[in-house]
Amino acid sequence: MAKAASTQVGIDTVTLELITGALQAARAEMEALIDRTSMSPFIREKKDYFTAFLDRDGRLVVSTSLTLAGNLVDAILEQYPADDMRDGDLYWYNDPYSSHGGVSHFPDMVFVMPVFHDGALIAFAEAWGHLWDIGGMVPGSISPQATSAFQEGIMIPPVRVMRAGELNEEVFRIFTRNSRFPDMMKGDLKAIMAACSLGKRRLEEVADRYGVAAVQGAFDHMLNQSEHALRSEIDRRVADGDYSFRDYIDSDAVTDTSYSVHLTLRKRAGRVALDLSQSDDQATGPINFLMDDSVPKYMAGLYLTMHDPNIRMNAGFERVIDEVVTRPGSLVAPDFPAPLGLRSHTMIRVNSALFGALALATGGDASAASSVYVLYYLRGRDLTTGRLDLCIEGLAVGFGARSFADGIDAVYYVAQKNYPIEFAEMEFGIRIEGFRIHRDSGGPGRYRGGCGIVRDVRVLADEADLGIRLDNCKFPAFGVNGGLSGRSGRVVVNPGTDRERDLKTMTDGQKLVKGDLLRIVTSGGGGWGSPLDRPAEQVRDDVLDGFVSEESAFEDYGVVIGDDGVTLDMAATMERRSAMAGPRGMFHRGDFFDGSDFQIEAAE
Amino acid sequence: MSEHALALDVGGTFTDVILVGKDGGLWTAKASSVPSDPSRGFFDGVDKILGQSAVPGSSVTRLLHGSTVATNAILEGRSARTGMLVTEGFKYILEIGRAEVPRAANLFAWVKPDRPVQPRMIAEVPERMLLDGSVERPLDEEACRAAVRRLKALGVESVAVVFLHSYANPEHERRAAGILREAMPEVDISLSSDVLPVFREYERSMATALNAGVQPVVGRYIGRLRRGMAERDLTAPFYVMKSNGGVFSPEQAEKQSIEMALSGPAAGAQGAAYVGALAGAKDIITIDIGGTSADVCLIRDGVPAITKDGEIGPFPLSIPIVDIHTIGAGGGSIASVTAQGALVVGPRSAGADPGPACYGKGGDEPTVTDANLLLGRVPPHLLDGEMALDPALAEKAIRTRVAEPLGIDTVAAAEGILAIVNNNMVGALKVVSVEKGLDPRDFTLCAFGGAGPMHGGDLARQFGTRRLLIPRHPGILCALGLLATDLQYDFARTRLQRPPNYDLEDMAAAYRVLRADAVAALDAEAVRLANRRLSRSADLRYARQGVEITVDFPGDSVDAAAVARLVDEFHALHERLYTFADRTAPVEIVNLRVTATGVMDKIELPEIGAVAEGTPAPAAGERRAHLGGGFATVPVYRREELLAGHVVVGPAIVDQLDTTTVILAGQSAVTDRYGSLSITDTEA
Repeated sequence: MAKAASTQVGIDTVTLELITGALQAARAEMEALIDRTSMSPFIREKKDYFTAFLDRDGRLVVSTSLTLAGNLVDAILEQYPADDMRDGDLYWYNDPYSSHGGVSHFPDMVFVMPVFHDGALIAFAEAWGHLWDIGGMVPGSISPQATSAFQEGIMIPPVRVMRAGELNEEVFRIFTRNSRFPDMMKGDLKAIMAACSLGKRRLEEVADRYGVAAVQGAFDHMLNQSEHALRSEIDRRVADGDYSFRDYIDSDAVTDTSYSVHLTLRKRAGRVALDLSQSDDQATGPINFLMDDSVPKYMAGLYLTMHDPNIRMNAGFERVIDEVVTRPGSLVAPDFPAPLGLRSHTMIRVNSALFGALALATGGDASAASSVYVLYYLRGRDLTTGRLDLCIEGLAVGFGARSFADGIDAVYYVAQKNYPIEFAEMEFGIRIEGFRIHRDSGGPGRYRGGCGIVRDVRVLADEADLGIRLDNCKFPAFGVNGGLSGRSGRVVVNPGTDRERDLKTMTDGQKLVKGDLLRIVTSGGGGWGSPLDRPAEQVRDDVLDGFVSEESAFEDYGVVIGDDGVTLDMAATMERRSAMAGPRGMFHRGDFFDGSDFQIEAAE
Repeated sequence: MSEHALALDVGGTFTDVILVGKDGGLWTAKASSVPSDPSRGFFDGVDKILGQSAVPGSSVTRLLHGSTVATNAILEGRSARTGMLVTEGFKYILEIGRAEVPRAANLFAWVKPDRPVQPRMIAEVPERMLLDGSVERPLDEEACRAAVRRLKALGVESVAVVFLHSYANPEHERRAAGILREAMPEVDISLSSDVLPVFREYERSMATALNAGVQPVVGRYIGRLRRGMAERDLTAPFYVMKSNGGVFSPEQAEKQSIEMALSGPAAGAQGAAYVGALAGAKDIITIDIGGTSADVCLIRDGVPAITKDGEIGPFPLSIPIVDIHTIGAGGGSIASVTAQGALVVGPRSAGADPGPACYGKGGDEPTVTDANLLLGRVPPHLLDGEMALDPALAEKAIRTRVAEPLGIDTVAAAEGILAIVNNNMVGALKVVSVEKGLDPRDFTLCAFGGAGPMHGGDLARQFGTRRLLIPRHPGILCALGLLATDLQYDFARTRLQRPPNYDLEDMAAAYRVLRADAVAALDAEAVRLANRRLSRSADLRYARQGVEITVDFPGDSVDAAAVARLVDEFHALHERLYTFADRTAPVEIVNLRVTATGVMDKIELPEIGAVAEGTPAPAAGERRAHLGGGFATVPVYRREELLAGHVVVGPAIVDQLDTTTVILAGQSAVTDRYGSLSITDTEA
């Protein structure tokens, strides 16, 4: 009997792995479907779509490791009780306010399909994607100049777009009527909705094969695994205490005011809290981030468990952090109808403030800050035909260096790609005339911060409006543990001509005309550890490859390269490095600072 | 003098050799590969089989070769010193790539892989084409010469030339090649307009840079082969396997070397297609299970599926290649229990050294092979006793590393290891089938490689195929596949056509150019007219989609009716692949393709002896084995004693020199004329 019982446990362990594998495969299959059939540049080339499975209580179980909200289903269950859901229903929303941050800006369309087995609700399949245009004040819907959510496109509270397999055509028609590109929207929505149906079908097959009890058991087990892994990392690495850090956003794009996120990591008597209540008041412009509590929890979970490839981001992380404190009316808990289009600027500062707090808690074992990805919105017009040419392009930046590796060079974000030049020239009224690494933008360090990029864009439309959001200029990404901050980007029109002019880096409504050259230079990530400790050969290689200038090699790294530009002068390097040696602070932005005492005045 | 075909597949561990005579002779051999000089393994194999068969080198009339030389050079960073010429302003295309953290990665942990060519090795040249192929800025030849001098000073052995929009007009790349040749006649040159003339500059740059990197390596290797063949009086025409499932001449391989990147797996797929055809199976899913990995491929109507979105290591590879899905699961895959109490199998592998615990070479981690041994599926000695396995070591590894940590008994742990690795493999089988809208019940599963026949029965059942095929020589199917190949060349041009105004003239003109290229390639190989096949296809998508579907172009002329049929077929394929079609949406034609095939004379596999159909096979012995449901005494058969018509009813085991086939209770196996086992479920 004892043997039979233990075998049973063994089979369970195996079955858990089998179900986990099947869910991962099903999610990959959903993503492949969206990838291959979607139509807008945002989804098909940039790949701005994600999928997930949640359990019947709406807890996130399997998803892409993207630190956006985990409460994807709660708002639907508020509106449509589980008892009322039927097989073949499909629910839809894009409204951050009525979903309590389940989605965080309006262009992201969330679709959720309940999954049934023998008439009982067992789970949800979910997919979302960023749509190209959903109405609002400008083509592309997002404007850095928005001051109200009502300017950012149509708001869809949780609605049932399909009832038992029957599509509600009316809802669909109302929605597509509100887009400047209705056909493209239809194509993308079809792709996302088909992915939900596919995910539902796959989950039904898993339940048929292994039974509902095993599926629920696997869900619980996956959550427990992630919970235990994060709990043991926090216990091991963070001593009881308060660790606070404040990080800054250049501006809200409407005013010139800077905003800050303040985060305290508080650990006491086995309880862990993240307190963001000291963050600034909500902004006039669209950098407000209606943050679900799960967001900073997922950031902490993904960071602290990153070296264990078996740990997945899911709601298990949420159980480890007992409390997230926010203040209504603040930047991370704005009141309706604050605009939200550029929320990633604040989201990524929540991340870097958490890294700052972790650096203080662990004596510097945290990543340096990353720059915020860049987007520009070029709305061109052909004066003869009146045709609108909308180009929205995401641009790479540099990420923060880590205690084990350089920051990533020229990177946008998780799973999102840039447009090939040969695609952009085919689709939009532009010509790309240069695409380079932004030299010296990565913060010097034992591990170098990632470098940003330079993109030269020639305007071919008769005239065009430009909006842009390029952050980390006033407040470059900070360095950690002796590493220096990243260097700032810049936006300039017609560089090197007598018509050269610098633009604000967070702005909209800039007028460009045919033939103008727009140069966008993006910001780099912070460095980690003293640059004097970086092996001289690596510094020399960075010089040869154009990531670091010879001047920076000398000034920041203390590395002297001979006249041939290749050979290291080791004697001069040692002399230079010993002359530069001296105490360095925990953080760096322009100057070294310790704790959270970096003041806004210091930057100005 | 009789005609013979000789095929060699050089893998990481073994070089497999097969020699087939038109008179019915068939010899096989295995030699150890020599990774430091693969030509040594090649000629060890040649000498072994010629010695064994007493066939003189001069009576070999065709020689075919599958090689991992290009693959290993890329994966192990042993490519040649490579420089690049690029359009001014665009030196960092390769470095920047598509700027994403991969979907499955943790963004905090991910490290960007080093590129095959560093920025310091890349020189910019003033020139610019536009997307319609018109010249915006002429090539500055003086500046180009200066750039070439810089590369020369860097000591490059090979140069890749990648200019923007060169797929639309290769003129500047060709002129740059001329300048390179004048200055450095000895270096290899790869033009992106030759290697991959389609849009998306990063993917094209990658393919061209990889090609440039392996060209000198392949060139030197082929040189060694030529010398060795001359010494052995081997004067037969010689062909090299490429990734698209065809073969090409060594002269072509020296130029388009990147096309060898998936040479071995492509040969395996061809072998399965060949054996399948002999057994009357045209729709097949193959699984080749080796020591560290399993390769899965889909074959429809006898032809392995092709992809243009492949990968090699961390890099995209967008040339047409046989669509092989590889996972880290094989006999050497290690089973372990994580800190959180989960049982994980692979992708870590014990490899050949130390190998599974039962090899007794110091490995103490349990592997899939240990689980197979513990359950009696594998006999305690391999290669007919040449290699003894130690069941006690297997038992100890599984008990201490899996059973005790999980609190289960050792047999349950071994079953669990097999269940998990089988599940991983079924996941891979689904990727190439179910995920493409195909029903496994319509396919035959062909399992080969050293471990394929052990797992095939479980996989077929769990995956839901009705028939399982185990080839007579599962360990050397890649070599056999080489004998079944034809010359094959793919040509493509980007030619964006938007509805409703498909430019039929323009398409016809593009097809004429592609056809001329195709004919020239077949001319170069002196392919007889009767053996030539040209086929046209086109890549279509709904307007604004980013991924195209390749559709066969119907009929011979490019007219409105043919294009209408092409578009209809696209809608149908879209529905099958992606669950929906939109017949009101505009459809774009993006790329035009021509495939040239030079059909080679095939040498037939000899038939084996026969008995009356349905004769029960004679058992050679029995052993205790756990084939599901507990240990029992099961009959053991010798593969070489099975004749055409023999039937084996499960539960049973069939042993042969290099592998073991497991036949589960409820399954039965029939031997066909060529020695393949066809296994079906009798309980259904």
